[in-house]
Amino acid sequence: MIAIDIHKILYTAHGSMLLSIQLDIEKGQLVTLYGVSGSGKTSILRMLAGLMHVDKGRISVHDKTWLNTNEKVHRSPQQRKVGYVFQDYALFPNMTVRKNLEFALEKGQDRSIIEELINIVELEMLQDRKPEMLSGGQQQRVALARALVRKPELLLLDEPLSALDVNMRSKLQDYIIKVHHQYELTTILVSHDISEIIKMSDKVYCLEGGKIVKQGDPISIFTNNQVSGKFQFTGEIITIKKEDVVYVVTILIGQNVVKVIAQESEILDLKTGDTVIVASKAFNPILLKVEG
Amino acid sequence: MNIFSGHISHIQVSGSLSLIAIAINENVTLKTIVVETPETVGYLKKGNAIRILFKETEVMIAKNEISFQTSIQNILGGTIYSIEKGIIVSKVSIETSIGAVVSVISTEALESLILKLHQKVVVMIKSNEIMIAE
Repeated sequence: MIAIDIHKILYTAHGSMLLSIQLDIEKGQLVTLYGVSGSGKTSILRMLAGLMHVDKGRISVHDKTWLNTNEKVHRSPQQRKVGYVFQDYALFPNMTVRKNLEFALEKGQDRSIIEELINIVELEMLQDRKPEMLSGGQQQRVALARALVRKPELLLLDEPLSALDVNMRSKLQDYIIKVHHQYELTTILVSHDISEIIKMSDKVYCLEGGKIVKQGDPISIFTNNQVSGKFQFTGEIITIKKEDVVYVVTILIGQNVVKVIAQESEILDLKTGDTVIVASKAFNPILLKVEG
Repeated sequence: MNIFSGHISHIQVSGSLSLIAIAINENVTLKTIVVETPETVGYLKKGNAIRILFKETEVMIAKNEISFQTSIQNILGGTIYSIEKGIIVSKVSIETSIGAVVSVISTEALESLILKLHQKVVVMIKSNEIMIAE
């Protein structure tokens, strides 16, 4: 169990904001922090990693106290078993893939972990290359492997996949799920991508203005049975175009583009880029077998 | 989207399907079949308030003189109060005893039925086209 109870005044572009968070995360869970920019997600990760000062509160990880401001306990980032993956990879450009991983080893640590991680994230063929020779997805695999070298008790992923294209995202999601289970990690993900959150997380916490306003399993948070339609997806509006007396709304659902006829009253509060639930009844779709 | 509120007056369950009757007012009860049961959705209880939703494109219009019988379970009488004519599709709004129902039909159908403002018509919605929400 990871028990988090932290309070801090953050100074943002819109003035000061009290971040006040209480979370209990069960060991082995993958949870997501979801919310608009400036709601405090990254600050929470930084405070967990010991990279940001906490005004008041405590953090305990599997019964070990990492922070207790009352008792003046404050473990340094090095004393916390945390793996941290950022959106921008943050690899050492002058080192090969293997050297990047080795650099993360603790003194006296068994080096076999390097080989193991290279195998798990399938970097065997790339291990002697430098980061600039790798694609974004490959670099992020290296960053993920590097974050795991010290066998962290807590893995923090700060929008690790948001710079990648859809295909690459999906692969990386699979790698993350794989290592999360294999190393029995407790993982906190920051993500804006609802399909990613639904695919990956056990639980989602919705943040607004430094507070948790909603929490639960992702399916009920994001689809919450708003309607009974069983043919239900979440997607992003690409275009809204008027045709005759109706509107044709084009929506990206995962990698598929679908079109939905809508009325003016339905699109009044919708715009390109909005996330929508696309729902139809289970009676409407037809199924065609794809041959071979 | 056509949206109305009502109360559940009857539920018949078989396997994972339910036939739900929703009383919109004293005289009108609409029926829907859903792939849900009282076990899967907490609000499926007799007497509970519920909303029903159906797309304009699923609303059929017939002229009052229609006499043949259909398999359609939800039939409402009303009066056309607005027609927006497009090239391929047109939008017809009908005032009924439960409120305004909007139908999108082909302009060809609009013309062949010679639908006009203030005309009395019948609107029909198949029960499998109605969604429910809390």
